[in-house]
Amino acid sequence: MLQIIKIEWLKVKTYRTFWILLGLAVIIIPASNLLVQDITGRIPKQVQTLLGNSAYDFPLVWQSVANVNSYTSAIFALLLLTLVTNEFTFKTHRQNVIDGWERKDFVFSKLFWVLALSVIAFVVSVLTALFFGFFYGTSAFNMDGFYYLGYYFLQVVLSLCLALLTGILVKRAGLAIVLYLGYVMIFEQLLVVTLKRFWGSVGGLLPLQTADELLPFPLIGKMLPGVQQYDNMVYLIALLGYIAVALWLIFRRLLKADI
Amino acid sequence: MPILSLHNISKKYGPVQALSEVSFDVPPGSVFGILGPNGSGKTTLLSIVTDVLSADEGTFTLFDQHPSAKQRRNIGTLLETPNFYHYLSAYRNLQVVAGIKQRSEKDIPRVLELAGLTARQHSAFKTFSLGMKQRLAIASALLGDPDVLILDEPSNGLDPVGISEVRTLVKQLAQAGKTIIMASHLLDEVEKVCTHVAILRKGKLLLSGPVNAVITRDDFLEVGSADNKALKAVIEKHPAFVQLSATPEGLLQVIFKEPVDPAGLNNWCSQQGIWLSHLQVRRKSLETAFLELTNN
Repeated sequence: MLQIIKIEWLKVKTYRTFWILLGLAVIIIPASNLLVQDITGRIPKQVQTLLGNSAYDFPLVWQSVANVNSYTSAIFALLLLTLVTNEFTFKTHRQNVIDGWERKDFVFSKLFWVLALSVIAFVVSVLTALFFGFFYGTSAFNMDGFYYLGYYFLQVVLSLCLALLTGILVKRAGLAIVLYLGYVMIFEQLLVVTLKRFWGSVGGLLPLQTADELLPFPLIGKMLPGVQQYDNMVYLIALLGYIAVALWLIFRRLLKADI
Repeated sequence: MPILSLHNISKKYGPVQALSEVSFDVPPGSVFGILGPNGSGKTTLLSIVTDVLSADEGTFTLFDQHPSAKQRRNIGTLLETPNFYHYLSAYRNLQVVAGIKQRSEKDIPRVLELAGLTARQHSAFKTFSLGMKQRLAIASALLGDPDVLILDEPSNGLDPVGISEVRTLVKQLAQAGKTIIMASHLLDEVEKVCTHVAILRKGKLLLSGPVNAVITRDDFLEVGSADNKALKAVIEKHPAFVQLSATPEGLLQVIFKEPVDPAGLNNWCSQQGIWLSHLQVRRKSLETAFLELTNN
């Protein structure tokens, strides 16, 4: 595996697009939280008192940062889609196998990016939450609710697994990006709304919606008269199930099909 | 122990039978040409050997073992087009290949020099001409000095000097004892370097084995004189005469049933009062023999 990571590093070390997209994905985490903090900071004092803690006070800051970041994880997915579809465009996925990789080594090389980008997103989120909690919060440090960042980590893993699957199936960069964003931003949301309207909570079990259900924005989430929800464990199991299915499809496709 | 041994390999693309029960062995140290017109299945066959495609039926062994990535790391392969990361330099692309092949990066300058790319080693692959891309692919195949090379149309995109250089390189590698499996439709290329051939047509193996055993190419004599009419009449009387045809250049091509010594023929003609102005022993070109084979 170390050999595979070394080779992946050689592929991106001098690849400018990779570093620009990675920089963007990382910077947008504190930047979007800064925006949200600014907005929530303008809530009148009286309302704040009613709500109790502010969104960026410990321990709510973990949940707030996790929720805000879940909207920007598509940028990490775009980065992964670029890396994966590059291989198909340049036909280097073939060359890697011809030169002596097992097909599963190629899958592992891309799963490495799923994990690496997820870990980067998680670590930056933890640092962001700590910064906002200490800098903008008024409560003492508290780890309650840290598990929301764990949910966020799983949301990024699932987003990236779906991006990897899209890249492997579609192969062409432009089309893969359009299809992925179209599904994430519009199509799944439409399905969720429709399902929730006619069949209730089952709409919350669509792939990326499972993570959304696990990551409501603190304070406001509680006030919305939403559809009755399943227990968090149901969403968590569904989310892990989707990751497992995506991985199975990725391996199946790349191990069996002609490349 | 054959380097590569194919047993009844078949492959279909939808309704198209790309390969049909192809079997042959590649002996060690041979320069093995896989010949066939466009679409005959050459690249499909090599793609199966390199695990890019899966055979529908049949098996093959590499180095007498079940094929795996480990064996592929010991083979230098150029398949179809040069496949490299466009944004990386030639050197960095070869670093990736060296990493996958688990070979030392110290060999990179040698293969870049062999391919004539030392001066451009730090330029991005996307800035290369077609010929330079092909040269980089050849350099990549030679990385780590493998004992076996698979070269699919190695002269593609090269200028005449490049083609000649590749041919010389293949000869040198063969002399050094390497086994080279080469697919080509350029028969001139194969004729000059191959010791063995397999001939494919529409996915079927027509013949395989040592070049001279597979493709019989009888010698013939090309003759000419001031009076070709008289020469024709004389030649037809020769005891070993079989067949005669005229060339557009005004010469006569004569096939005899047994080898005829040119000096003896010259002497025999002069005794009949005919003085030859042209006398040359020729061999049927591989191209002619190949066309005869694949058209049947």
